[in-house]
Amino acid sequence: MSGLRNRYCIVGVGETEYSRDSGRTTRAMAVEAIGAAVLDAGLGPGQVDGMLSYQLADSTPAPWVAADLGLRLNFYMDVLGGGSSTEALIGLAMGAIEAGMCETVALFRSMNGYTEVRIGGTGARAAQPVRGLDLAQRPYGMTSAGQNFALTFMRHMYEYGTTSAQVAHVRAAHSRHASQNPKALLKERVTVADVLASRWIVKPLHLLDCCLETDNATCLIVTSAERARDLRQRPVYVMGVAGRVSKPRTDFHWAHGPITRVAGYFARDIVFGQAGVTPEDVDVTGSYDAFTFTTMLQLEEYGFCVKGEGGAYVSSGIIELGGRRPNNTSGGHLCEGYTHGMSMVIENVRQLRGTVDDYCPDGREGKHSYDYAPGRCRQVRDATIAMNMGWASPPTGSALILGR
Amino acid sequence: MPAVEYRGMTLVIPDNDSEWKEYFAAARAHRLILRACVACGRLRYPPSHGCPWCADLGWTWREVSGRGTIHSYEIVVHAIQPGFRDWAPYPVVLVELDEQRGQPTADEALRIVANLVRPDLRPEAEENVAIGKRVRVVFQDLADQVALPQFTLSDEPPAGRVWRLA
Repeated sequence: MSGLRNRYCIVGVGETEYSRDSGRTTRAMAVEAIGAAVLDAGLGPGQVDGMLSYQLADSTPAPWVAADLGLRLNFYMDVLGGGSSTEALIGLAMGAIEAGMCETVALFRSMNGYTEVRIGGTGARAAQPVRGLDLAQRPYGMTSAGQNFALTFMRHMYEYGTTSAQVAHVRAAHSRHASQNPKALLKERVTVADVLASRWIVKPLHLLDCCLETDNATCLIVTSAERARDLRQRPVYVMGVAGRVSKPRTDFHWAHGPITRVAGYFARDIVFGQAGVTPEDVDVTGSYDAFTFTTMLQLEEYGFCVKGEGGAYVSSGIIELGGRRPNNTSGGHLCEGYTHGMSMVIENVRQLRGTVDDYCPDGREGKHSYDYAPGRCRQVRDATIAMNMGWASPPTGSALILGR
Repeated sequence: MPAVEYRGMTLVIPDNDSEWKEYFAAARAHRLILRACVACGRLRYPPSHGCPWCADLGWTWREVSGRGTIHSYEIVVHAIQPGFRDWAPYPVVLVELDEQRGQPTADEALRIVANLVRPDLRPEAEENVAIGKRVRVVFQDLADQVALPQFTLSDEPPAGRVWRLA
């Protein structure tokens, strides 16, 4: 399964500001993010001829924004989905190009996740009628992502002795990273004690175990390695990709345990097999942090530690800048802003280019101090291989391994 | 289209909904029924059209005891749905039924999401909610043809280790 290894690249990345008050439409934001990614890639007018987006009936479809950018498309598709879509769509973009359908694909996510359609199920989503499979959970007051995942987290504490303090280290680490990220919504460093002192949302989740709903748009551009050679940026190669890999019984995943097992259990052999590397070879991880627990669960399921020892792993210092394998160096969904996964792939692309946009005066040109004090550097020295672990829910996830 | 208002939500169970209509109607008669495969005989939840194990499309309803064990739980402190605000903090439990535990493979079971309630259908107090405790089904009547299966603590000794978040 290594036929396409290093044959496709991410050549451009772009995003809007992360805010809680965008004051504009998802169409306006998508155009800005895609425009920024096109510029970043050094692509000329009309050179993007494919477009993919993902959304939850909360965004603008590709044909509308393509017109704004003067693009005539040979391929587009707007896909239903949130978390885990980014990695899966990178694979679909490769497939579309490989099939000869198009040459270069812009992949975007645009959402007013705070001011319009809130992810947590409040507002418009809470008012929708409950029918079909939703009848198995929503009448019991189980609606939001946190409510849907908490049973998994609680059982992990029961089976493995995982503690609230251990997973709180995820928030502490990501807040340290965000303090070196000018784009981050929450730049203030927090401690484990701060997390434990924050109010309960749904036990075992405190407020600071949860990410923050955000208005933003993000974009990645995928093309062949051949075309990438003529573009502006150092290409970042796709070594392996797994998309929307699922556990059994996705209608009601609680039926097939252990319920502490997540989709990475089934995705890891696909993605590492394609890439021809092991977890030990990975320098930077981006494990989806909708919640502190989701980061921990995926890191252990993909083999960065033994299953059940995720609490010890995330509280060991390994996942912090300066540690052996930092996770979500941008601050991730917990601190930078919530994007349904795209921003964490963007961050890893910049890490592999060596041009992370930190506070180093010439950081974007690749000159870094590697001083991880607040307000300084967040570039990982000599980052060569990066991995993203996308999370939709306990039974569904995607993964991506990138190399330079 | 039959619809039931409950805590600010509209529960819609159309006449053509062969997954849920009879399930909730049986609950209104205070019986918990699950789908059973006519070919291999195994039970499944939620109600669905094909057997997860043998893929046979034939099914029938079968009543179960409604007795089980709390496999996991959560306490909703910050209610999302407006209609649940006066109920919070409330427990949501994942109940593992006694029938078909560990079958057909060790990690499989009939598990149901519900609230843990007191016999008067108010939410059970948090200090009484724990993994491993034994429960039994009770029914919360909502309309002529609809009741919600819920669970309440039983007086049986716990099954295995009892644990709750301190």
